[in-house]
Amino acid sequence: MASKPSAWRQYKILLAKDLRREFHTKDMITSMGVYALLVLIIYGAALGQTSSSLDVLQMSGGLLWALFVLTSLLGLNRSFSYEREAAALDGILLVPMDRGAIFLAKATSNFLFMLVVEVIALPVFWFFFLANTGLPASMPYVAVPLLLGTIGMAGVGTLLSTITAATRGKDILLAVLFIPLIFPLLYACVTATTAVLVGSVDFMDAFFPSVALSAGYDVVMLLASWALYDFVISA
Amino acid sequence: MTNAAITTSKLTKRFGDRKAVDAVSLEVPTGAFLSIFGPNGAGKTTLLRILSTAMHATEGSVQVAGFDVREQPDDVRAHIGLISHDPMLYPDLSALENLMVFAQLYGVPNPEQRCLDLLDAVGLKHRRLDVARTFSRGMTQRLSIARALIHDPEVVFLDEPYSGLDPHAVDVFDQLLASQREGRTFVMVSHDLQKGLQLCTHALVMAKGKVVSFQPKDAMDEAAFAEVYRQTVGAGVA
Repeated sequence: MASKPSAWRQYKILLAKDLRREFHTKDMITSMGVYALLVLIIYGAALGQTSSSLDVLQMSGGLLWALFVLTSLLGLNRSFSYEREAAALDGILLVPMDRGAIFLAKATSNFLFMLVVEVIALPVFWFFFLANTGLPASMPYVAVPLLLGTIGMAGVGTLLSTITAATRGKDILLAVLFIPLIFPLLYACVTATTAVLVGSVDFMDAFFPSVALSAGYDVVMLLASWALYDFVISA
Repeated sequence: MTNAAITTSKLTKRFGDRKAVDAVSLEVPTGAFLSIFGPNGAGKTTLLRILSTAMHATEGSVQVAGFDVREQPDDVRAHIGLISHDPMLYPDLSALENLMVFAQLYGVPNPEQRCLDLLDAVGLKHRRLDVARTFSRGMTQRLSIARALIHDPEVVFLDEPYSGLDPHAVDVFDQLLASQREGRTFVMVSHDLQKGLQLCTHALVMAKGKVVSFQPKDAMDEAAFAEVYRQTVGAGVA
């Protein structure tokens, strides 16, 4: 006789399922990676007239986060498409389980896929556009806005992609909902990332409040997304 | 305590002003095979979705396997399986991986052995490492049966399970169903009167959300029942 596993165990099973699927297909990471590369090529053309790397440095945080948001949108759109492809999600919803485990597993897998692409894209961006500026001492701090921004985008994006996956105009609808909703997070992460990359002596003045805002946004939005998920996925 | 696997009382589902299911009261005995017939829009699939916890009723009460669908949905889910025209599988995972995901989520003891036994039962053990996307429609449907039975459910819902199957696959599907009848209650939504009557112990005709006819097969005049069905379908969509 089957006995219901804990929510933690079910979370791990669902996360392992997403990772195993990605391991088989390389679908999400490949498509997001190629897309990131194409955006970098467009940046190359767009910034081709700048006279030096220093001209790019001040807007590097914004350029990086624009790249991350665009690639994340692609991944988020795909993450629920394959759940709907053969109605697999309907099968999962028949299992007695806390819907929050479904949300957390999907948000975690989205977070990991986004992070892999960002970790690849960041040094490529640096190599092409900022190689002549040298690495600032504050560089290791870039991991903080990167992690906080990706957590927030994965959480909010997972909720929104669940809502939009079954709609006809899901691609545009997700973008229309996603970008305004993550705007405070985006603004904070751009500020913090730029402060780190410019690396001035007083970079903490801009970095700390931005990171605090990002962390606060993540806590509030993840809790709200988790709380709303049962309603959203059952609708 | 009744011997009913499914009991509904004045079950109603409204979408705006329209009643998709209208005051349906049923009692399906344990071990029965109920075939539900009716024209498109009759409310068959809506009824099935309510019974399988996928949708809430607007009014009325439902008990499945002794549990209230609204109050104890997780208990109901632990005792039901659903086979649909959609396979409810991950096309990019292998047959074994698909079943393992569901076996582990349900907390099936010794999940790998259970999966292998079921793959053997549905004739897919030799393809257990192949991804589901490479399967024919018939093979996918057989894997879908294994998924639905992985936790040994007491009640199995079938939503147009023959849709898209070729005659050979229909035969294989019939044999599989027959081998799994022991101790289970089945509820099947179908447009195929002949197939539905062949399998059922009880038959239900719905139209415009209401029950037109509900009777056990052993007390049924099949010709008269078929005429009721034809008139109902001929009367058009709800």
